[in-house]
Formats: sequence, C-alpha cells, structure tokens
Amino acid sequence: MRVKRFSLRILFYLAAAIVLVALPSLVRSNYWLGTIDLAIIYSIAVLGLNIVLGLTGQLNIAQAAFWGIGAYTAALLNTRLGWPFWATLLAAPPMAGAFGVMLGFPTLRLSGRYLALATIGFGIIINLILHNWKEFTGGADGIPGIASPVLGPFKFSTNASFYYLGLACLIIAALAQLKIKNSRMGRAFQAVKENELAAELSGVNAFKYRVIAFALCSAYGGLAGQLFAHRTKFVSAETFFIDMSILFICMLMIGGVGSIAGAIVGASLLTFIPEWLRFLQGPWAMAIFGLAIIFMMVFMPDGLAGLTRSIVQRIAARINPDGQEAAGRPSSGRIGATGEGK
Amino acid sequence: MFDVTTFAQLFVTGLAMGSIYALVALSFALLYKAVGILNFAVGEFVMVPGFISVVLLTTLKVPFLWAYLVTLGLMVFFGAVFQRTVYHPLRGRPFVTVLVSTIGASLFLRNTSLLTFGADPRVSPGLFTAKTVSFFGVFVPPQYLLIIATLIVLVVFQYLLFEKTLLGKKMQATAQDRDMARLLGIPVDTIILITFIYASLLGGISGILLAPVFYVTADMGFMIALKAFASSIAGGLGSIPGAIVGGLFIGVVELFCAAYISATYKDVFAFVILIAVLLLRPQGFFGEKIAEKA
Amino acid sequence: MKTILEIQGLTKWFGGLVAVDNVSLSIREGEIRALIGPNGSGKSTLLNLVSGVYAPTDGRILFKGQSVLNKRPHLLVEEGMKRTFQNARLFSGLTVLQNVMVGLHGQTRGGLFGIVFSLPGVKEEEKLIFCKAEEMLEFVGLHELANAPAKNLPYGQQRLLEVARALVSGPDLLLLDEPAAGMNPSETSQLMRLLEKIRNRGTTIFLVEHDMNLVMEISDSITVLNFGKSIAQGPPAEIQNNEGVIEAYLGKRARYA
Repeated sequence: MRVKRFSLRILFYLAAAIVLVALPSLVRSNYWLGTIDLAIIYSIAVLGLNIVLGLTGQLNIAQAAFWGIGAYTAALLNTRLGWPFWATLLAAPPMAGAFGVMLGFPTLRLSGRYLALATIGFGIIINLILHNWKEFTGGADGIPGIASPVLGPFKFSTNASFYYLGLACLIIAALAQLKIKNSRMGRAFQAVKENELAAELSGVNAFKYRVIAFALCSAYGGLAGQLFAHRTKFVSAETFFIDMSILFICMLMIGGVGSIAGAIVGASLLTFIPEWLRFLQGPWAMAIFGLAIIFMMVFMPDGLAGLTRSIVQRIAARINPDGQEAAGRPSSGRIGATGEGK
Repeated sequence: MFDVTTFAQLFVTGLAMGSIYALVALSFALLYKAVGILNFAVGEFVMVPGFISVVLLTTLKVPFLWAYLVTLGLMVFFGAVFQRTVYHPLRGRPFVTVLVSTIGASLFLRNTSLLTFGADPRVSPGLFTAKTVSFFGVFVPPQYLLIIATLIVLVVFQYLLFEKTLLGKKMQATAQDRDMARLLGIPVDTIILITFIYASLLGGISGILLAPVFYVTADMGFMIALKAFASSIAGGLGSIPGAIVGGLFIGVVELFCAAYISATYKDVFAFVILIAVLLLRPQGFFGEKIAEKA
Repeated sequence: MKTILEIQGLTKWFGGLVAVDNVSLSIREGEIRALIGPNGSGKSTLLNLVSGVYAPTDGRILFKGQSVLNKRPHLLVEEGMKRTFQNARLFSGLTVLQNVMVGLHGQTRGGLFGIVFSLPGVKEEEKLIFCKAEEMLEFVGLHELANAPAKNLPYGQQRLLEVARALVSGPDLLLLDEPAAGMNPSETSQLMRLLEKIRNRGTTIFLVEHDMNLVMEISDSITVLNFGKSIAQGPPAEIQNNEGVIEAYLGKRARYA
C-alpha cells in the first residue's frame, strides 16, 4: 500500500515535470507564453504575501511597491552601472527587504489594522516618488533598455526561454518557502499569528518575527520585480500602483491564504481570467471581478486550497466511512505507526 | 512673498477640503468603531452621491432641494444594501476577509459608475451664484463656507445624537460590546444597519458638497478614501473627535505644503504625516493607548 | 535548599483597585507551591506579574536572584521560567507536536540561510527538538495524538498539551494557572501524577488552583491570598487548620478546612 502510494507520487511529479518542460512547445503562441511568464512573476510576489498574511496573519497592502523597488533597483543597476542579470538578482531582493524592515519597524508593534493603513500610505509615497523623481527614475517615461539575462551562450530574451528561467526562480522560491514554513521560523510565524502572548511566553520574540516575515515578504516582491524588469526590459511607475497590491491580495485570497500551491494557482488564475474576459469591455470585466471578490469572500473564505481540502475530505469520508472518526488522528508517519501498533 | 491675505485664503480652502476629509473620515471611523471593519469603499460612499446629485441637477434639471433630498434618500438605501451584502454575510470573520470584501465593493462601484456615467469629469452647479464672497476681507467661494458650516452642524448633531438620545446610546453600547448589548435587549443587527446608513449619509453629504467644487469622476473615491485613512490614523483610528481634527489637520497642512513646498508632491504630504504620526505617536492625536499584548 | 523565586512587597493597582497588596513569598528550588484563595483574591494577577505579562506598581520579583522587572516575557522564558494559562492558549492551527516544538524555540538557533539550504546544523537541531517534543508528548501521554491539529483536542487534553509545551524546554520554574480547571476527575488524577513526575525531574512548580483535593495532596507548601493580601503560608496540614484561612473560605470551602 505504502509502496504503491510512493510510486504514484513519483509518477505524478514526473508527469508534472514533463508538462512544465514541454509547455513552451505545447503553447507555441508567443502572446500566451508572455502571459505565462507574467503569471510566474506574479506568483513569486504573491508567495511573498503569503508569508505575511498566511503565516503571521498581517496585511501588507504595499506589495506592488516592493515589487517596484525590486524592478527599479534592477533597472537602475543594469542600465546605469551595467550590472548583469545575475548581479541584480542578488541586489534587488535585499534592497526591497531593507525597505520592508524600514516600514515594518515603526508599524509592526501596532495592531494589524494600523499596518494595513500604513502600508497603503507607503505604497502611495513610493509610487509618487517613482513618478516624480525624474532624474533618477525617468518619471512617467520610465527606464528603457534593460538587458535580457545571459548565461554563457544562452540568452533569455524570448518569452519561451525566459519561461524556464522564471520557472526555476519560482520553484526555488516555493521550495524555500516550504522549508521556512516547516522550520523553527515558520512555526514561530504561525505561533505569533495564532496567539501572540502564548508565543512570547514560549520564548518567541513576536515583534522580531513579524519584522522578519515582513522583510521576507518584501524580498519576494523584490525578486518578482527584478525578474519583471529583465523580462519586459522596461519599467515605469504606473505598473507598480496600489491596484496591483490589491490584485496580489485577491490572488492570494482566491488561491487560499497560507497555502503555497494556492498562492501560485491564485496568481495564475487571476492573470489569465482577465485575458479570457477580454471580450468584455474593461470596466465590465472589473465590475464583475469586484462582485466575484465579494462572492468569494462569502462562499469560499479559505480560497481554492480550502475548497480542495474539504472536497478531498468529503471524498475520503465517502470511500472510508470510518475514516471520519480518525480525522483527528495521525494518518501517516512515524508517530502514527506507533499509535496503530497498540 | 508671504502675505496675510493669501495665507488666510489658503487656510480657508484647506479647512474646506479638510472638512470634507473629516466627514469621510467620520464615516470611516464610525464603521470601524461599530463593527471593527476598515471600509475601503468609503471613497465610493462619496463618489456615488456625487454622481447622483450631478445627474439630478444637470441632466434631469431637478431643483436643488429635491435633488439633494433624493440623493440622500438613495444613500439611505445604498447604506442598507451595502450592509446587507458586503458586511452582514461576513460578520464575525477575520478583519482581512471583510476588508477584501469592501475592496471588491469598491471595484464594483467604481466600474459600474464608469459604465453608467461615463469617463468625462462632471461638475454640478452650485447653490450660490456668487463666485466669491468677502469674509473678513478674505475672498472665498461661498461653497467652502457652506462645507465648513455643514461640518460644524453635523458635529453638533452627532454629539446630541450620541449623548442625548436613546438611539445614540444604543449605538455606543453596540460598538463597545456587542454581546453585552444583545443581552441587554438592544436589537444589535438593526443598530448596526442604522450605523451603516448613517455612515452612508455622511458620505452622501460629502458628495453633494464636493460636487460643485471638485470634478466628479468614477475614480475620485480612491484619493478621497486615502485621505480619509490618513486622517483617521492621524487622529487616532476609531476616534470620533480624532477623525474630525485629523481631517482638518490633513486638509490644511496638505494645502500649505502644496503652496509653499511643492505642488507636485501635494498628495505625498498626507502620507508623510501618516508615517510621521505612526513613528512618533502611533495611537494618533486622540487614540487610546494601544495595548501591545493580549 | 536554594530559593528560586523571591517576591518582596509586591503590589499591583488597577485604577483604584488593589489586586495584589504587599505580598512577599519565597519559593525553594524543587518544591510544589500552591497559591490559593477565594475568587478575585489576586492569584492570577500575581502569576501575571511574575511572568512579566503585567508590570507591578511596587515591589520586587527576583528569579534566581535577578530582578524580572522590565524584561519582555520571551527573555524570562530563556532564563528558565515558563507558564500556562487559565484558558488554554494553544496555537490551534498547528499540530500537537508542532505546538510542543514551539516550546523549544529558544533552544534552536538556525537562521534563514541555514533553514533554506538545509544546512547540517539546522537539520540536526530540527531532529533533536523533534525527538525531544515526541518524548515530552509521551511523558504527558499525548503521543498518540502528535499529528492531530491542536484545535481538535478535547479541553482536558488541551491543558495537558499546554503543560507539555511549557515543560519541554526544561524550565527551572513552571507556573501553572489553574491547570485542573475544566478537567474531569480521572483527568485531574492523571494531572496530579504528572505534576509529581515533573517535580521529581527537579522542576519547581508554582501553581494557582481551585481544586483543593489536588492542592492538599501534592503541594509542599501553600500560600493563601485574600483581597490581594497574603494571609497564611505553610504546609497543607497547617493551612487546613488555619483560622484565618477558614474564615476567608467560610461557607464555600469550609468543609476542606
């Protein structure tokens, strides 16, 4: 039984890997490949948000600003100082992370509602600076001429080639988050979210972990921005407006707050849905989108991840009616084995 | 460069804009206090009545009194519908869920307004024919004086409502402890509904007052909401006097900064104030001491 | 025997009410000390003062000879003082095992880099606290539920889990706020055995408790609070016959006295 399940899992990963590698030749359309690239970039930004909202339960309505900080850091370093992709890759996330710490320090001691409002203010300030500090950021004209990534003989200039680079970054970002989630740090984040006082009295410095989570979130945003800058080869302030911050939050809520897979699925869905809704005029699509958000919050508060979980549970209960009682009991793993042995 | 008349004119203009911010911040603070939600659609609470009054006055040529009464009547309905659809099904859920729901409402209202009223900025005719009136030697548009006067009247009205009437006391009790209020036999759901309607009416009054001096567009709510957030934080989140003082403060400071420092960064100053307040006095001017621990 | 906790002239005012009034007591290493008193006598407040949740109005608290004033709770924890709450405050989204592992947070050092790259040190550390947490669950008798979400536990077991979370880091002083509240008789006697086992490991226990059977059976000495004042102190047999205590409890708890 266990061997069968194990090989099934390997088979699943193998199939997924083949599909992911073959995707560019399956899709072919350059336009849709570009959209997939964008979905990958958004997924990384939303994964960042998942650390703050999903793990520590705080709301950051400035992820677009951190995304922008990453993008402008990469753009400026590349166009002014000639730093290649790999160098800006190392510079942009820490830069965004540093801004995150700067914003987090004064606000993270307060209740989450203050943070929510303060991040909006921060997002607006960053956006206005990007818009108006013309000598530095190019103002509304933005910064053109950002170089494509190059690795030895390979140049990631097409949507298809950039896809592999982006996918690698996304997989690394997701795996890193998985590691974090299941580490002492991830447990500390969740402890702070669930009960701050109990966390403190278990030896967790709640404020410190809030700041770390916030820095990680903005660093993910910075990474997404860096990729974005090198993919579109052009950045301008409009892209990094608060609308995008809100869209990132919606992506996470729809995918399922706290779920890594949910963050990626949510980001991808909300990248593609507006494209599919193109036959509708802009405002129509956005109005429907607004309504859909309210419906989602009312009927699917845990997003697609929560929905999937409850469906799986229901199916499991139907297949194995006794399983329901065992829901609270260990289902697998070392500890379960000793329990069953009794 | 500096002269007293310009200064006074700027001050009155700032107070007028600040009064609008104060009214909107009041609407925002009321809902925060009563049900603990951050209403991101508060800007649309101003934009929608703005459009309704413009359409009634210009397209349908309804007389002022009726136009304003119909607008406010529709806002009663609007507040009730908003409470029933955006808040009520989500009561008791985490604040982020309700917040995102109000974001959805904001998107919906903004875009349906765009579809209904078009993208052209609209201005409503004012009550007054005179462009400016002399007020202690300072020439100001009469509409500005009306806005400031309305704020004063509303503040007095609200004080009387909360302190002198049974309904006001019930609203306060519900805001402080909903379960206790329910045990005391207060119809909590109805009181919350009334609070939403009142918040919506405050937005309605702001929209009506703003329409003659400010372009009405589908996107106007966004900036107004942001200023209301900044005002609320400056005054102290959930504090009623804080919302009023915070609004006036932001309105005046913003205008002076725009006039004497940089017009380009006019909108930044509100948020610089916001961040400064968070750094120096996070609970705001009037906020209670924030408990750090549970 | 050495003194582990020394309280001198401790006073706490809430507005115009005095919750703890000039209380002094000292707890020896290795003893089980119970703090009893009628409802509202200031027991929980005293515990909150000792654990750094509230700041006292006046007085001194010395833990291992050092003042605990102005120390954030998580720092006291590092020095070996842990506590539980009157109403179990678990991390309900985490599993039973993960809850206990959070209790070991202070004993791990892994940084972001080590975690993301699974450096050997971090892996080892994680394995170590995993084993320690498992052992602790075995010790309190919750090992079969290790992978269940903490929120699924019945109330009595939630209290046990809280004790496990506090105990796992091997504190020198364990503060328990009404550990038996909401437990049925069999759970209470299980708890009593557990507390004795904990004492035998060398951990000092300072507990607030209403269940007089439990208190009289396991405590080495008892402090009685009434209206915030300490009115009696001594071994169980002495407290049972103390007139001041009988008076304080008169009617309600007279039968125990």
